[in-house]
Amino acid sequence: MLDAFSRAVVAADASTSVVGNLGALKQFIASGNRRLDAVNAIASNASCMVSDAIAGMICENQGLIQAGGNCYPNRRMAACLRDGEIVLRYVTYALLAGDASVLDDRCLNGLKETYAALGVPVTSTVRAVQIMKAQAAAHIQDTPSEARAGSKLRKMGSPVVDDRCSSLVAEAGSYFDRVISALS
Amino acid sequence: MKSVVTTVIAAADAAGRFPSSSDLESVQGSIQRSAARLEAAEKLAGNLDAVAKEAYDACISKYSYLNNAGQANSTDTFKAKCHRDIKHYLRLIQYSLVVGGTGPLDEWGIAGQREVYRALGLPTAPYVEALSFARNRGCTPRDMSAQALTEYNALLDYAINSLS
Repeated sequence: MLDAFSRAVVAADASTSVVGNLGALKQFIASGNRRLDAVNAIASNASCMVSDAIAGMICENQGLIQAGGNCYPNRRMAACLRDGEIVLRYVTYALLAGDASVLDDRCLNGLKETYAALGVPVTSTVRAVQIMKAQAAAHIQDTPSEARAGSKLRKMGSPVVDDRCSSLVAEAGSYFDRVISALS
Repeated sequence: MKSVVTTVIAAADAAGRFPSSSDLESVQGSIQRSAARLEAAEKLAGNLDAVAKEAYDACISKYSYLNNAGQANSTDTFKAKCHRDIKHYLRLIQYSLVVGGTGPLDEWGIAGQREVYRALGLPTAPYVEALSFARNRGCTPRDMSAQALTEYNALLDYAINSLS
């Protein structure tokens, strides 16, 4: 498992040179608290995000919860929720480390083959991940949808800078995209 | 590679939970200290050749028998290799400064070093002398800030201990 720092070191070691470009790492440190806030925003809302993503996926494809569907009966629905949480958890780890290696090695490696063997539909899985991607962006920006959240609206209230952590939103999005491309 | 962040993630993953607030606290602690580490890494990267040269010269002048025929520093090839070895240690120290842990030194420097030096018949005392010279050569504020020098010296001590 690597993080942003050890990734730079491994790259430098390949050419037996010192780590030359420290600018990116200084940037990582300077925005360290924002990164931790982003991780906290996802971790604190994880169960809500996962259940919403799976519910949204089923809403768009009711066949999943009818007899013969992949979220029927409860046992398989529970497995689905569990998998959603696992994916979100590894994306959170990757965001904390600033590197995708933990996501690749411990979550995505062999996931496509496993799902193919178990007969899990890829399109539905991808849809759930896409919903989680949008949710993660909203939580990192701290802009949950007031229209849709209704009485459940919850803001983290951490001090947010002007750009609303756009670089972290993009980085988290890239990890979700990585999950999607690994599955399809 | 072992660092504060990867250790925290590995522990959270073993328990199957999201990063907790105490996990984030320890990462934040590491981030706060890292400014000094990166300063030391930057300064060392800029002067790596000079630091390695001085350390190499110091150890050869103390153990001048190494220049005798058949010894480890006798030919030009051997000299270049000795110099390169010192530079390797300093480079790994620079990596460890960047990562914020001893992972690079442990994995790429210390693991197996005893066996290698025994097989090649190399004495470790000159390495200790070279690194000790570098350890005592650093000076604040001429070279880097006090905190940065502390981090740098701690890693030099770690490498010296591994060779003693």
